[in-house]
Amino acid sequence: MEKNQIQTVKAPLKRRSARKHRQERFFDYSLFFIVIFLVCFGLVMIYSTTAYTSSIENNGDSYYYVFRQGLLALLGFVGAIVISRFDYHFFAKFAFFAYIVMLIIQILTPFIGVGSESHGQSRWIAIGPIQFQPSEVSKVALILFLAFVCSRTVKSLHTFGGIIKVFLLAAPMVFVVVLTNLSTAMILLGITFVIVFVASDRYKPFVAIIGLCIVGLVAGLLMFSYRMGRITAWLNVETDDYAYQIRQSLYAIGSGGIFGKGLGQSIQKLDYLPEAHNDMIFGIICEELGLFGAVAIILLFVLLLWRCMIIANNAPDLFGALLVVGIMTQIGIQAFINIAVATNFIPNTGITLPFISYGGTSVAILVCEIGLVLGVSRQIRMEG
Amino acid sequence: MSVLFYHRKKIRLFMWILLVIAAVLSAWLCFLMISQSGYYEERAEDLHERERVIKAARGRILDRNGVVLADNQLVCTVTVIHNQITDPERVIKVLSETLKLDEAFVRERVEKVSSIEKIRSNVPKSVGDEIRSYKLDGVNVDEDYARYYPYGQLASKVLGFTGADNQGIIGLEVKYDEYLAGTAGAILTTTDVRGLEVENTAEKRIEPENGSDLYISLDYNIQAWCQQIADKMLEQKAAKGVSIVLMNPQNGEIYAMVNAPEFNLNEPYVLTGAIAADEALADLSDNDKLNQMWRNASINDTYEPGSTFKIITATAALEEKAVRLDDAFFCPGFKIVEDRRIRCHKTGGHGAQTFLQGFMNSCNPVFIDVGARAGTDAMYDYFEKLGLFEKTGVDLPGESASIMHKKENIGAVELATISFGQSFQITPMQLLRAVSAIVNGGELVTPHFAVRTVSADGSDVEAFQYEVSDSGISEETCETLKMMLEKVVSEGTGNKAYIEGYRIGGKTATSQKLPRGSGKYIASFLGFAPADDPQVIGIILIDEPEGAYYGGTIAAPVMKEIYENVLPYLIS
Repeated sequence: MEKNQIQTVKAPLKRRSARKHRQERFFDYSLFFIVIFLVCFGLVMIYSTTAYTSSIENNGDSYYYVFRQGLLALLGFVGAIVISRFDYHFFAKFAFFAYIVMLIIQILTPFIGVGSESHGQSRWIAIGPIQFQPSEVSKVALILFLAFVCSRTVKSLHTFGGIIKVFLLAAPMVFVVVLTNLSTAMILLGITFVIVFVASDRYKPFVAIIGLCIVGLVAGLLMFSYRMGRITAWLNVETDDYAYQIRQSLYAIGSGGIFGKGLGQSIQKLDYLPEAHNDMIFGIICEELGLFGAVAIILLFVLLLWRCMIIANNAPDLFGALLVVGIMTQIGIQAFINIAVATNFIPNTGITLPFISYGGTSVAILVCEIGLVLGVSRQIRMEG
Repeated sequence: MSVLFYHRKKIRLFMWILLVIAAVLSAWLCFLMISQSGYYEERAEDLHERERVIKAARGRILDRNGVVLADNQLVCTVTVIHNQITDPERVIKVLSETLKLDEAFVRERVEKVSSIEKIRSNVPKSVGDEIRSYKLDGVNVDEDYARYYPYGQLASKVLGFTGADNQGIIGLEVKYDEYLAGTAGAILTTTDVRGLEVENTAEKRIEPENGSDLYISLDYNIQAWCQQIADKMLEQKAAKGVSIVLMNPQNGEIYAMVNAPEFNLNEPYVLTGAIAADEALADLSDNDKLNQMWRNASINDTYEPGSTFKIITATAALEEKAVRLDDAFFCPGFKIVEDRRIRCHKTGGHGAQTFLQGFMNSCNPVFIDVGARAGTDAMYDYFEKLGLFEKTGVDLPGESASIMHKKENIGAVELATISFGQSFQITPMQLLRAVSAIVNGGELVTPHFAVRTVSADGSDVEAFQYEVSDSGISEETCETLKMMLEKVVSEGTGNKAYIEGYRIGGKTATSQKLPRGSGKYIASFLGFAPADDPQVIGIILIDEPEGAYYGGTIAAPVMKEIYENVLPYLIS
């Protein structure tokens, strides 16, 4: 294999002026602290959005949601630190296994799962007292699997056929998930697309795939007319009955103004905005912290993605780089789709805001994924 | 496999795409949160704000001397807020005891999970203060205005009363509702989806605009006196009803309007004894009985005026020069018109008499002749001039119109009966207005109560103007009629209304109620004073008196009793 390709490691990674004799290990503290900040900020916002409603629902316990979220986030951080200590190549061994297992679990979910309160479809699996969404794990499994496969078959990705083969490998997972959860399936497809795109040296096939996706999307909308409701709701947000949630989100965002009403001062969170602590938390952030707070959050995500890019670009090998790219894709797509939905930029689809939205499994697994990214960053060798 | 150049290039490309998306979203947010901010904020506030209405105090109604006839008093509304109650048992106990309510009733409301629950409204302020003194969590005592009528039954059918929402139901209260009602204010509070107020949010207050005071021409003293006399007559004569209207014939201001039995304005939904005992109404629903109780007979009901209407016939005939005062007539006690034998009230007949004597005797055959001489066209012409085909325009709701023969259907018999006031129906108010026009020199006035409204702060005064039109009756005829009517009281059938030292004109009437022969009568008297320059004109009707039923015998003395007190008071 091409061993002596570009070996130069970028200057920014050089943190310390006094180099020690032993091989220096890089650990991306900026990324780590951005994530810590986002999670803590999320906890503050979850408390803000749920304190009032929670104390009504849970007999005066205003900490119900924030406590659960905090506990799982803590678990996530412990997991992340442990994971970051491993050499990430260790996980490659489980790539196929994890993918197959998650595929089976996803197939079984509609049958053994429990319906979530809000959506009615079975997307949850209960193990003892813990409920979790297997699709969160499936994303990681897919990233691991694709990173592994693509890093091994990178030569075949020169050809259109090779690219399609990888897509076909990912297809079962996407297909299984699409049955219960369209939004997650879209994220899975996005992850697949970006990983393969990065791994391949070609451009044209991907343009073709995008074209194909658009055709498929239009066809899908025409075939499943109930999905059209989302489009009409999106276009008639002020009047459509199905646009209630987005309309409320817009009221929250608009009434925030430039500087916001101040932390804790949202009115829309008083049950006007459904899922205010969940999918729609960005609306409340806008209402309370204004345009400045909202743009600050977008910038934090940009910074987080930037750090991921740096790590991916400097990863010791393609497997590590694709792993990071996959995670970066997942976070980027979720964050921006969530924000775009909350602001009625695109039609409504239920995607949570990474690290901030309420959702224990989601936040714990996302933090663990960051652990994986940090694990990759630790393998970067500092050079003089 | 290491990371190659094109991998890095593609990763950077992906990052750029993400950056562009972030920039677009930020720009979109700027659009939403800067230029669209005002719009969404307004929409959101509309959604969040709950309006708590502050009732406007209703304007008072005052008589011509400033005596308050309709007022407001503070009452309380007691409500409970489930979420705020800390000691439900105590709340239930205190509320059921102080408000004298069934404990189960209170318990149901206290234990109901709702944002706010009304326990009772129109609670006297003293009771409200007592409940407040217990300082119970979750119990609200809100002050409110309720209509209060200091004199209870006084002019009940004129003043009217208000409903639960402070709106007028009958009488002047409904007629002048727009002046009296005022504009309600509001307290705007921010609430959550359930309607619970959010603490620490600013309250917006829109002050209510209180209603204007209404000054009416009614005189409390005269009204009270008339009402006292009407009640006395009601009892003495075991009558079904007694109506008295006193008016200034010069401008139409009504001094008093009594329609006994009156009802208590403070309890307008409680049937009076008279209504409850009335067998004729026994089959009606409670609602219909209430409507009967609230009827203002002087303007809502029509009757056959009988002999008082001879004033109109005489006016028409004199004005047409169809008859002169000294024209000779003969009354054998009846008159045959076509195939009908129409009797005079004096069975033996009045014998030979002049027109003036026939008027003083209220002789039917004379008026049959006079009416025939004037003719249908002239009669109807003067009816119209004297406003008998139109409503009087009095400022009370539900005025009745007259029921007249169609002109083309009038034959000799109909003309004969019309001439002495039978076979058609008008309201007492219409007759009073027509006679007013005759005694005031020919001016047709609009009877009315409302004189002016004064806004709550006294800054805005609106005086009401009423139409006065020329009836076309000549001055000469008016003078003649006044003289004739004065003679009726000084020497004729109305002599029981004569008061020494006052020049009073008037005319009696005894109307048979339909169906004829039922033995039911309305005894009435219409009189004015002073006869040379009338300042007050009045009509009294005694509906279905028992025993003596002649207007001259029972109605005229009542008018005397009224005038004995009112004339020194009014004409000083």
